[in-house]
Amino acid sequence: MKIRLITQKVFFFAALILLCCSFGCAQKSSTGLVQDVVVENNEEPADAMDMLLDDDFFDDEAIVEEVYYDPLEPMNRVFFDFNDKLYYWVLNPLNTAYSTVLPWEIRYSIGNFVNNLAVPIRLVNNLLQLKIQDAGIELSRFLINSTLGVFGFGDPAMLEFGLEPKEEDFGQTLGYWGVGEGLYLCLPVIGPSNARDVVGFTADVYTHPMVYYVDDFYVSAGYYVVSRVNLLSLNPEVYEDLKKYSLDPYVSMRQVYLEYRRKKIDDNAMQRRTDNEL
Amino acid sequence: MISKRLLVFLVCFILFDLHVAVSSPGPTEVLKPTLEGMVDVIRDPEFAGADHKKVRREKIMSIASQGFDFTEMSKRVLGKTWRGIDEKQQQHFELLFTKLLENAYIGKLEGYSGQEIVYQDERIRGAKAAVSTLVTSSGTEPFSVSYVMLQNGIGWQVYDLNIEGVSFLRNYREQFKSILRKDKFAGLVKVLEKKNATLEKEDSE
Repeated sequence: MKIRLITQKVFFFAALILLCCSFGCAQKSSTGLVQDVVVENNEEPADAMDMLLDDDFFDDEAIVEEVYYDPLEPMNRVFFDFNDKLYYWVLNPLNTAYSTVLPWEIRYSIGNFVNNLAVPIRLVNNLLQLKIQDAGIELSRFLINSTLGVFGFGDPAMLEFGLEPKEEDFGQTLGYWGVGEGLYLCLPVIGPSNARDVVGFTADVYTHPMVYYVDDFYVSAGYYVVSRVNLLSLNPEVYEDLKKYSLDPYVSMRQVYLEYRRKKIDDNAMQRRTDNEL
Repeated sequence: MISKRLLVFLVCFILFDLHVAVSSPGPTEVLKPTLEGMVDVIRDPEFAGADHKKVRREKIMSIASQGFDFTEMSKRVLGKTWRGIDEKQQQHFELLFTKLLENAYIGKLEGYSGQEIVYQDERIRGAKAAVSTLVTSSGTEPFSVSYVMLQNGIGWQVYDLNIEGVSFLRNYREQFKSILRKDKFAGLVKVLEKKNATLEKEDSE
């Protein structure tokens, strides 16, 4: 009789301890449910490093999460293959010829010129995200590069003054104010995007000075193509490396694009909020 | 009397803690010699060239396996599926995946010349740590690489790389998920074997 009572007590305590442990486990798995990186409302702003440590993506293996939304995958894959053909048949030969004709320094200068022209986009979007100081930096960069940098071909603002570009576009602005990325899209010619960024890209077209100074659509389109070819010539291996090292390049590109965009939005929100606190 | 014993106990406790803290290296202290060792082998003229490739790669991978936890990477990249396969399959997969990483990233690293790695920041949270570095190399813009590390029985080891916000482990995990859905584990193994063969053929050309 007495032994039975002791056994019962032991069982009761063991159960109690197990219950407490399970509470702890439950806490862990519930944080695992949060797929997106959580912005903590602490006094101390978290930065990119904290984001890496907060990432619970791999800790809880039991949950199969959808980190992206790609209902149009079949169509996207078709466009991905189209872009792939376009790359190997048109862009790559064009790039090879372009790089052979123009030395690296000139292509780099053209890149600077293109970036300088796009200042209104970055300026407006920094303001829309209330990043006043960054908007000021962009303005300074424009003034310095257009004068000292000879119409934008040079980048003395970065090299001499250490003013880095504050890249923002309307897609990021929408993301900053809470618009979700929506479904993933692989667009012909333009490449990877998502529902929100397509809207952003369209808005960016109208924030770019090109559209106001040049009426002819073909000139604008030509400018766009040249600027992209130039960008490709400065980073030639990016697409081919992606294909070389991935088992499913479509998925790889989708992941890279989504994570890169998210980092640009979140990273800016946390790291630069401290810079721009008025 | 009691307080004296407590004092002795406290002193021993503190000394023990100090000893542990001093004797176990931090994340950056593990990462630095690993990366530098790998880069040294790449730059070593004794092992340069295609004819020394096998020896060179073996050396690099033996250094890498000190600082990188390939088992943990293989486990996490497969996710649920890891638990569904037996030990032999797990070992085979780990072999294939490590070979893929070797072909892809060591191959790429060998292509860069004059690279410098600057160790910028280190953050530790419990058994997890992140070390951020900046890689400058001639011919490209500097880019940031962050190493996410875990403290296991051996010490600190890397289980994920993050380049400009893109996690390489998550990238492969998503690719594998897509393949696993269609072709299951056997199909994934076949794709990996084919990929490794292609990469090795390209390298030797």
